[in-house]
Amino acid sequence: MAVCVAVIAKENYPLYIRSIPTENELKFHYMVHTSLDVVDEKISAMGKALVDQRELYLGLLYPTEDYKVYGYVTNSKVKFVMVVDSSNTALRDNEIRSMFRKLHNSYTDVMCNPFYNPGDRIHSRAFDSMVTSMMIQVC
Amino acid sequence: MAQCVQSVQELIPDSFVPCVAALCSDEAERLTRLNHLSFAELLKPFSRLTSEVHMRDPNNQLHVIKNLKIAVSNIITQPPQPGAIRKLLNDVVSGSQPAEGLVANVITAGDYDLNISATTPWFESYRETFLQSMPASDHEFLNHYLACMLVASSSEAEPVEQFSKLSQEQHRIQHNSDYSYPKWFIPNTLKYYVLLHDVSAGDEQRAESIYEEMKQKYGTQGCYLLKINSRTSNRASDEQIPDPWSQYLQKNSIQNQESYEDGPCTITSNKNSDSNLLSLDGLDNEVKDGLPNNFRAHPLQLDSSSDPSNSIDDPDHVKSASSLHETKKANTGIIHGACLTLTDHDRIRQFIQEFTFRGLLPHIEKTIRQLNDQLISRKGLSRSLFSATKKWFSGSKVPEKSINELKNTSGLLYPPEAPELQIRKMADLCFLVQHYDLAYSCYHTAKKDFLNDQAMLYAAGALEMAAVSAFLQPGAPRPYPAHYMDTAIQTYRDICKNMVLAERCVLLSAEILKSQSKYSEAAALLIRLTSEDSDLRSALLLEQAAHCFINMKSPMVRKYAFHMILAGHRFSKAGQKKHALRCYCQAMQVYKGKGWSLAEDHINFTIGRQSYTLRQLDNAVSAFRHILINESKQSAAQQGAFLREYLYVYKNVSQLSPDGPLPQLPLPYINSSATRVFFGHDRRPADGEKQAATHVSLDQEYDSESSQQWRELEEQVVAVVNRGVIPSNFYPTQYCLNSYSDNSRFPLAVVEEPITVEVAFRNPLKVPLLLTDLSLLWKFQSKDSSGKDNEEVKELVTGEPEMIGTEVISEFLINGEESKVARLKLFPHHMGELHILGVVYNLGTIQGYMTVDGIGALPGCHTGKHSLSMSVRGRQDLEIQGPRLNNTKEEKTSIKYGPDRRLDPIITAEMPLLEVFFIHFPTGLLCGEIRKAYVEFVNVSKCPLTGLKVVSKRPEFFTFGGNTAVLTPLSPSASENCSAYKTVVTDSTSVCTALISSASSVDFGTGIGSQPEVIPVPLPDTVLLPGASVQLPMWLRGPDEEGVHEINFLFYYESVKKQPKIRHRILRHTAVICTSRSLNVRATVCRSNSLEDEEGRGGNMLVFVDVENTNTSEAGVKEFHIVQVSSSSKHWRLQKSVNLSENKDAKLASREKGKFCFKAIRCKEKEVATQPSEKYTFADIIFGNEQIISSASPCADFFYRSLSSELKKAQLSVHAEKQSIEDAVRLIQKCSEVDLNIVVLWKAYVVEDSKQLILEGQHHVLLRTIGKEAFSCPQKQEPPEMELLKFFRPENTTVPLRPSVEQLSNLIKTSLHYPESFNHPFHQKSLCLVPVTLLLSNCSKADVDVIVDLRHKTTSPEALEIHGSFTWLGQTQYKLQLKSQEIHSLQLKACFVHTGVYNLGTPRVFAKLSDQVTVFETSQQNSMPALIIINNV
Repeated sequence: MAVCVAVIAKENYPLYIRSIPTENELKFHYMVHTSLDVVDEKISAMGKALVDQRELYLGLLYPTEDYKVYGYVTNSKVKFVMVVDSSNTALRDNEIRSMFRKLHNSYTDVMCNPFYNPGDRIHSRAFDSMVTSMMIQVC
Repeated sequence: MAQCVQSVQELIPDSFVPCVAALCSDEAERLTRLNHLSFAELLKPFSRLTSEVHMRDPNNQLHVIKNLKIAVSNIITQPPQPGAIRKLLNDVVSGSQPAEGLVANVITAGDYDLNISATTPWFESYRETFLQSMPASDHEFLNHYLACMLVASSSEAEPVEQFSKLSQEQHRIQHNSDYSYPKWFIPNTLKYYVLLHDVSAGDEQRAESIYEEMKQKYGTQGCYLLKINSRTSNRASDEQIPDPWSQYLQKNSIQNQESYEDGPCTITSNKNSDSNLLSLDGLDNEVKDGLPNNFRAHPLQLDSSSDPSNSIDDPDHVKSASSLHETKKANTGIIHGACLTLTDHDRIRQFIQEFTFRGLLPHIEKTIRQLNDQLISRKGLSRSLFSATKKWFSGSKVPEKSINELKNTSGLLYPPEAPELQIRKMADLCFLVQHYDLAYSCYHTAKKDFLNDQAMLYAAGALEMAAVSAFLQPGAPRPYPAHYMDTAIQTYRDICKNMVLAERCVLLSAEILKSQSKYSEAAALLIRLTSEDSDLRSALLLEQAAHCFINMKSPMVRKYAFHMILAGHRFSKAGQKKHALRCYCQAMQVYKGKGWSLAEDHINFTIGRQSYTLRQLDNAVSAFRHILINESKQSAAQQGAFLREYLYVYKNVSQLSPDGPLPQLPLPYINSSATRVFFGHDRRPADGEKQAATHVSLDQEYDSESSQQWRELEEQVVAVVNRGVIPSNFYPTQYCLNSYSDNSRFPLAVVEEPITVEVAFRNPLKVPLLLTDLSLLWKFQSKDSSGKDNEEVKELVTGEPEMIGTEVISEFLINGEESKVARLKLFPHHMGELHILGVVYNLGTIQGYMTVDGIGALPGCHTGKHSLSMSVRGRQDLEIQGPRLNNTKEEKTSIKYGPDRRLDPIITAEMPLLEVFFIHFPTGLLCGEIRKAYVEFVNVSKCPLTGLKVVSKRPEFFTFGGNTAVLTPLSPSASENCSAYKTVVTDSTSVCTALISSASSVDFGTGIGSQPEVIPVPLPDTVLLPGASVQLPMWLRGPDEEGVHEINFLFYYESVKKQPKIRHRILRHTAVICTSRSLNVRATVCRSNSLEDEEGRGGNMLVFVDVENTNTSEAGVKEFHIVQVSSSSKHWRLQKSVNLSENKDAKLASREKGKFCFKAIRCKEKEVATQPSEKYTFADIIFGNEQIISSASPCADFFYRSLSSELKKAQLSVHAEKQSIEDAVRLIQKCSEVDLNIVVLWKAYVVEDSKQLILEGQHHVLLRTIGKEAFSCPQKQEPPEMELLKFFRPENTTVPLRPSVEQLSNLIKTSLHYPESFNHPFHQKSLCLVPVTLLLSNCSKADVDVIVDLRHKTTSPEALEIHGSFTWLGQTQYKLQLKSQEIHSLQLKACFVHTGVYNLGTPRVFAKLSDQVTVFETSQQNSMPALIIINNV
């Protein structure tokens, strides 16, 4: 169960960001923004040759006291960041990975929409509901 | 972590230095006080040794100590209070601010360019102060006193006595159990006796002798004579002496505080510093930049502990000095060491050197050796003993310790002289003298011992120092053991709960890691120590962590920013507002404009708040402004909070400078380019029957098509006025300026007429905005009538209402996310140039809830609609960018914008102002219906107006009547039920024949010139005086097409006096008329063949008029009556009605069709000749008993108008082709032309609201061609079918234009005259001869050669031919030439042999134009059979 899901453009501005306890939205924004440094680090850590066959899933970016932040980078350098409650121990790496894959598929659908202008904020209802399902569903 | 001034290798030895206590006698203290310094302070700048020192270690190896520093401090008997330390640290941090002109480093990371100050001096001074103010603790000896200086003065009565007293005092402090605090390294502390001698005051001989005595008693190595104060206080030459104390005394104010305690000024200074601290914590503090605490304390000190010498010598001096301090405190402060010369400085330096070489180092060397011996002697024993006891008592002892340790977090406590501590003592000593190898091994051993004993505090201390000394070892034989540090920190923090020690550990470790470029480890370490208990520490550490992130090999910008924000937060919690602001500002660089709006807003908000509390109001305003301007995604409540905060801050700003220029407000947005300017009064609403001209108003949307139409109309009327030419300086009048209009010229406004400016506001927020006292801001340059420019610039609206009156809107509410326009008026009272600059208003918001329950209850409050919570006055400028220029090449290649002068009207002299009202103006008409209305012209200005004209694209729609006579009553009320027409009652006898009258189109004001659209309004005196009004009748005729018609009228008028700037004025009106179908009239004309005309001339015509009632509304219109049919033509007239229907009234119910047939004849030749060509002959055929005089208004008016509009159409279509046609053809064509115009006048009976109304109307049919059907209303054209696209070029078909057969056949009109029946006695005479006259009339204007051929037999197999044929007798072919219009009769004879019916129409007539070579020879076919009946008698 994700607490916050964010899609970050290649240029590191948010395309989509949503968090469930809305009163703490700012905190999650900061958290996601800060995690981008780790994403950058992880990407640059990989050699150029490895970029092609690399794994999109970046794994745990960093843990905080209450949350764990996971990252995922598409081939077009769009970043997905997911914040998960630390107390939720049921979530394994595999679940996170599959959630990211779902997110990626949904994002691809958004991009396929001819009316979507790449680089705009995502206002897709389908994407929204998918994210909602990821936030609510108890794995 | 930011870069530091000191490297780690310097920092750590400087942080741990041998400590020496100083115990002074009162007299000695007094001597040093002359320099405003305590003894310890006096030594401070010289406490670093300039030369290398040598020392022998226990193994008798020579050890070199470089840069040794010693710390001399007065004995403090109380451990420093944590609260005091905290205050001190706070002061140190707040006292150290980034320098103003500091050049920041620019770090480029990815797409971020950040300005980051490379150094953090506040952190360094914090660290230094922190390390110095560490209380001495039992588990380590680093800051325990190694030696004690006993200082007495030579001026004392018994210096030697004094020394022994001091010695006893020191002994008492060290060994008495009352004093637990100053910790001493070893029981037998080194005592060093110092004799202070005041050179200027004391007797040098005596000092020397006392020193000799001391040497006797304490040995040469244990005492020293220090001569100071060699300068008599003469301030003039003081400037040259450098002041080495100032940089030290700022920092170590803990010694200062302590020194106050024994001075007489303790209470006051303490109070003072307390109040300072309080005020620093409070919100309303006034932070004086760069003014540290101790600067403030010193002037007080001067005043209270007044110098005896100073006060005696110059009593005024203190005053002046203190006042000097009042004015520029921060600048100079106290001059320290005023009584010291440079020699004195050298002496002090010498003294320290002597003390260290002779006293301290030998003492340390000795102590180390002793400790080493002890350890070696005990080593074998203790090891075995300890291990043995451990084995034996392991079951009982160890668990007890661990339990103990759990209970008592500091773990095991050793007695001060415990053998376990000796090794640590030795390690510390080695460390202090920079013997790191030995220190490391000792620490290492000690660590093991402590760990074995589970003495966690001790172990942590040993671990910490082991790590540090391992790092500091020369040549670095082993890597830095970071895990030692980690364990130490963890132990300090979690087990011992000693945050101070943990912090020290972290500071050291982070610095070491930083020096090894292990930034992320350092950051982790720093972040880990942030906790709730100390905001200041957390803030500083977070900031350092942030710096670590940015200094990494691949800079982590965002982490940097985030930690900066956290640091800023902690700083603000710690009351360090400046630092907080700085942190947020630095973080802002990362977040700015990157799309993280929520975070950006938050930072901006915080920056705004912090700036506000720091009284940096401009920054606060701009930060808040930023939040409001951005399309914020915050919730409404949040935005409301932002707005309130912003307003509050702004209010404070404006209160600070009430006389300053008004601030520019950011809200609401103004769409400058949507600004519209309107010159003139508002439109009056319809007043009863009166309906004002629509003119121009701001309510109208801009429509480029209609504005183009208006422009054309104006051009037309101006052209007419200027005799057909449009003057070169003509510009269309613009009453309403908007983004589409041409704003390149200064618009003209008339004095005393309002100027309305419509400003488009948009509220980007979700909360409503309330603007109060909204008005325009302008600048006016008055131009006096005397001619000289009287430049008078009025910036403020409230300035002079007699120049320009300004309308103020008291309340203007814009709801959340709403766009709204405000219309603001100015009333110019003088001529000149006006510049509208912008709007000025109070910006506020409404507090919805407060109105309801709080303030709303108050009686006075419900007068205003909204209770205003807070508002600030400010302005916004209107700056309109003109259109982009794109004419020249230069303009095309660069981006240039033209001027937009919408808002800079020139106020000109008075002009007349016309108002037009329409009375009884209908909204719905039947097609062709005639309705009479009235127009009222009112001159509302103070100038007479003249030259009133009206122009419209649809002149056929209306008329003011001819100028023949005004026959109808003038007042609208009297003519309520009258017919619109002028009628005459006739007797019923003359029904069928036409009544003839004639009129010229000139009388009706139309028809001449190329501009029939321009109609002068027949004003009674051509001038309308001020205030006068004239009512004129106006007839309207419903347009022929059904539907909604918008008809534009443009009234043009001029002033009597000629104005150079405005020549004319205009008034627009748009009438909307809805027409419904009425009648459809079709007419054809054909030549009559009969020659019954008494004149016997050819040229009779038959006119067939079909009238169809096409009205579809069954409820309304009951029936139509055709009351009259009139003809109007230059050459023709209707003669009589030929169809003999009984129904004279000619009723047409719905969907009925009626047919009329009339005979038309040419007007009499003489009439034609005498009349001017423009004269039309009207002939009326009446079906009722009233004749409508068709040659009078309004019937003729409309006729002429429809005629002229028809002509115009025809001209347009014909012009193109007609040129090419040969004259001959035209001549031929002319024959088939006729110009007969039929006017059908009707009445309609309409039931409306159970009331019968009679409507009247007329339709026009213009007959042009014989045999061709003409319609009253233009036929709808079928859309042409799509043609197939041809992909080859069409061949150029230049077929010589030949007149059509039909046209040719009209050249000659033939008619046969014969008896209709002929009785012939065939039995008498078998041949019957019948005389037949063939009349040939030339219809054309040219000579025509005619050939009549009788021989011809029709080849068509018609029955008549078979039955009976006849033959023409006599000449069978005639060749004739007919002159124009000539009628020639041929006498023919037909011969019949049988009775029967014969068709005589066999003669074939060929015609050709006589002067033409090429013959368009065509048989003039007789269309009609000419039948003759031959009877046998």
